[in-house]
Amino acid sequence: MTLESPPTAESSSLVEVRHVSKWFGPLMALNDISLEIGPGITGLIGPNGAGKTTLLKLLTGQSKPTLGEIRICGHEAWLAKAKAHVGFCPYGDATWDELSGRRLVRVTAGLHGFTGDEAERRTESVLETVGMSDRADRPVRTYSKGMRQRIKLCQALIHDPDLLVLDEPLNGIDPVGREELNELFLRLARAGKAVLISSHILNEMDELADHILFVCRGKLLASGSLETIRDLLDDYPLKVHVSCESPRQIASPLMALESVKSVSVQPPEDLFLEVQNPNRFYAEFGEFATTHDIQLHRLKATDTSAEAVFDYLMERASRPE
Amino acid sequence: MDSTLKISRFAACLQVFSLTLRRQFFSRQTIVVGVLLLLALVITIIWAIPWPWSPEPRTGEQLAGQILSLLYMGFLLPIVSLGYASSAISSERTGQTLVYLLSTSIPRPLIYLSQFAAVLLLTLGITLGCLTSLCVTVGMDSIAVLREFTPVVALATVCYVALFMLFSAWIRRATFLALAYALMIETLSANIPGVVKRITVSFYANSWLYDYSTFGLEPNIPAYDPVAGGTAMWVLIAASLGFLALGMWVFSRKEYE
Repeated sequence: MTLESPPTAESSSLVEVRHVSKWFGPLMALNDISLEIGPGITGLIGPNGAGKTTLLKLLTGQSKPTLGEIRICGHEAWLAKAKAHVGFCPYGDATWDELSGRRLVRVTAGLHGFTGDEAERRTESVLETVGMSDRADRPVRTYSKGMRQRIKLCQALIHDPDLLVLDEPLNGIDPVGREELNELFLRLARAGKAVLISSHILNEMDELADHILFVCRGKLLASGSLETIRDLLDDYPLKVHVSCESPRQIASPLMALESVKSVSVQPPEDLFLEVQNPNRFYAEFGEFATTHDIQLHRLKATDTSAEAVFDYLMERASRPE
Repeated sequence: MDSTLKISRFAACLQVFSLTLRRQFFSRQTIVVGVLLLLALVITIIWAIPWPWSPEPRTGEQLAGQILSLLYMGFLLPIVSLGYASSAISSERTGQTLVYLLSTSIPRPLIYLSQFAAVLLLTLGITLGCLTSLCVTVGMDSIAVLREFTPVVALATVCYVALFMLFSAWIRRATFLALAYALMIETLSANIPGVVKRITVSFYANSWLYDYSTFGLEPNIPAYDPVAGGTAMWVLIAASLGFLALGMWVFSRKEYE
C-alpha cells in the first residue's frame, strides 16, 4: 500500500513522475512509482538497494524509465531541455580533480553555455555561496571530502536550476559544515527551488525536509510531510509522553481507552503511553481529559521521527499481505 | 532558471571540446604514444644510417615501402588513434565524471561530436606530426613521400578515430576491444590472402597508396587484390561518416552507469 498526502487544489509541481517502472534485465528496480515534487525540500529516504539512486538517475535524465514518464518543468527528463532546469550533485567524490576548484566551477559554467563575464560572475557567486571562495585555487585532488562535496554543490548550482538533486550531499561534512549547508538548502527552498535530498541520515530529514518520500524495494511506501504520513498510518504505534499531576490515578482508566495499548508510569508526574491509532487516541484523550478533569502539563508524541516512521513502514511492508 | 539569460550552445560544445582536448593530451596515453613515436624515430634514424654492408643512401621508395607502409601505417597509426579515441568516453565513464557532461543541457549527439572533434584534432596533430618527422629525418625525397602519404594518413586517422570512439561509446573497457581489433583484425587479417581483409581500414588505406603512389609501392603478399584508389578513398570517407553517425546514435541512447 502506498500512502500519499492528498493533492493540493493548485499543483505547483516541478517534477511529475507518472507510473514509472524501471527494469534492469530481470531485476525490477522501481515498481510503478508516481509522485510529484514541488518547491521546498523533499527528503528521499530508503535503505540500500531501495531504488533511490535509480530514481535520481531517472530524474536527472541519466537513464530512461522502462514504463511511465517523468517530466521536469513540462519536459521529458531524458531530453536536454529538461536538464537546463536540473542541478545534480552525484554521490561519490569523482570529478575532474586535476583542475583547481575555481577552474572546475568555471568549466562547468562553460558546459552550461555561459561565457565571459557571466561565467566568471556565476563562478564567484556559487563559490561564495558554499563558502569555498578562499580555498578554490587549490587542485581539487588535494581537497578533503567535505570540500569536494561543496565544489560538487557549486557545479550543481552554477546554472541556477529550478530542481536541485542531491545524492547524500552531507556525507563527510563536519557538523559546522552541515549546519551551513542545511541553511543553504533552506535558503534555496525559500527562494522557490525544489531541493531533493537523498539521505540515510533520517534525523536530519526531520528538521530539514518539508516532504518525505519513503522508498523500499522499488516501491514508494509513503510520501508527504512526516506528520501527514504518520496520521495516515491508522495502525502506527505512536508513543506518547503525558505529564500531569496524578499519573497513577489516571493510568488505569487510560487503559480502558480503545486506542491505548499500554501505559507505564514514571513518578512523579510522567506517563508513557503506547497508542495504536493516533487520530482516534487524540479524540479519545481530549474527551478523557475533560471528563477526568486532568491537570495536563505536557502531551507529546515521542517517536514521530523519520526513523521511527520509516522503521514502522519497513516492518509493515515486510508483513505478508 | 532565468530564461532571459543568453546561453550559447556553441560555447557549451566548445567547452566540451577544450576539456576533452586538455584531458586527453595530459593523460597516460600521451606518454605511451610519445615513447612509441620516439622508438619509431630511433628505428628510422638507425635504418637511414649508411652502414658498411649497405653504404648506399636510402631512397624515398625505400622509406615509403619499408618504414611508412609497414611500421607507420601498419602499427603506429592504429595504435595512436586507439590510444586517444578508445579512451575518450570510456575514461570519463570509468572515472565517473561522464555524469557531469550528461547533466548539462547539451544534446548528447553534440557532446559526442565535440569530443570527436577534440580527439580527432589531437590524433591528427600527432599522426601527421610523426609522419612529417619520420620523413624529414631521412631527408631523401621526403617532401614527395610526405605529399603522397598525408591525405591517406589523414583519412585513415579520421576513420580509425571514428571507429574507436564508437567502441568507447559502446563499452566500458573500450581500449581492450580496440587493441584486440587492431592486433587481430587490422594486423593479422589485413596481411592474409582473401577477402576478410576488406573489413579493415588499413586495406583501403594501402589500396589507395598502391594505386596512386609514384614510388612503386606494391603489396608484399600474394593475392592481395587491392581496390582502385578512388574506391578506397570513398570507402574510407563513407566508413568514417558511418562510424561517426553510429557512435552518435549509440551515445545518445545509451544509459551509462
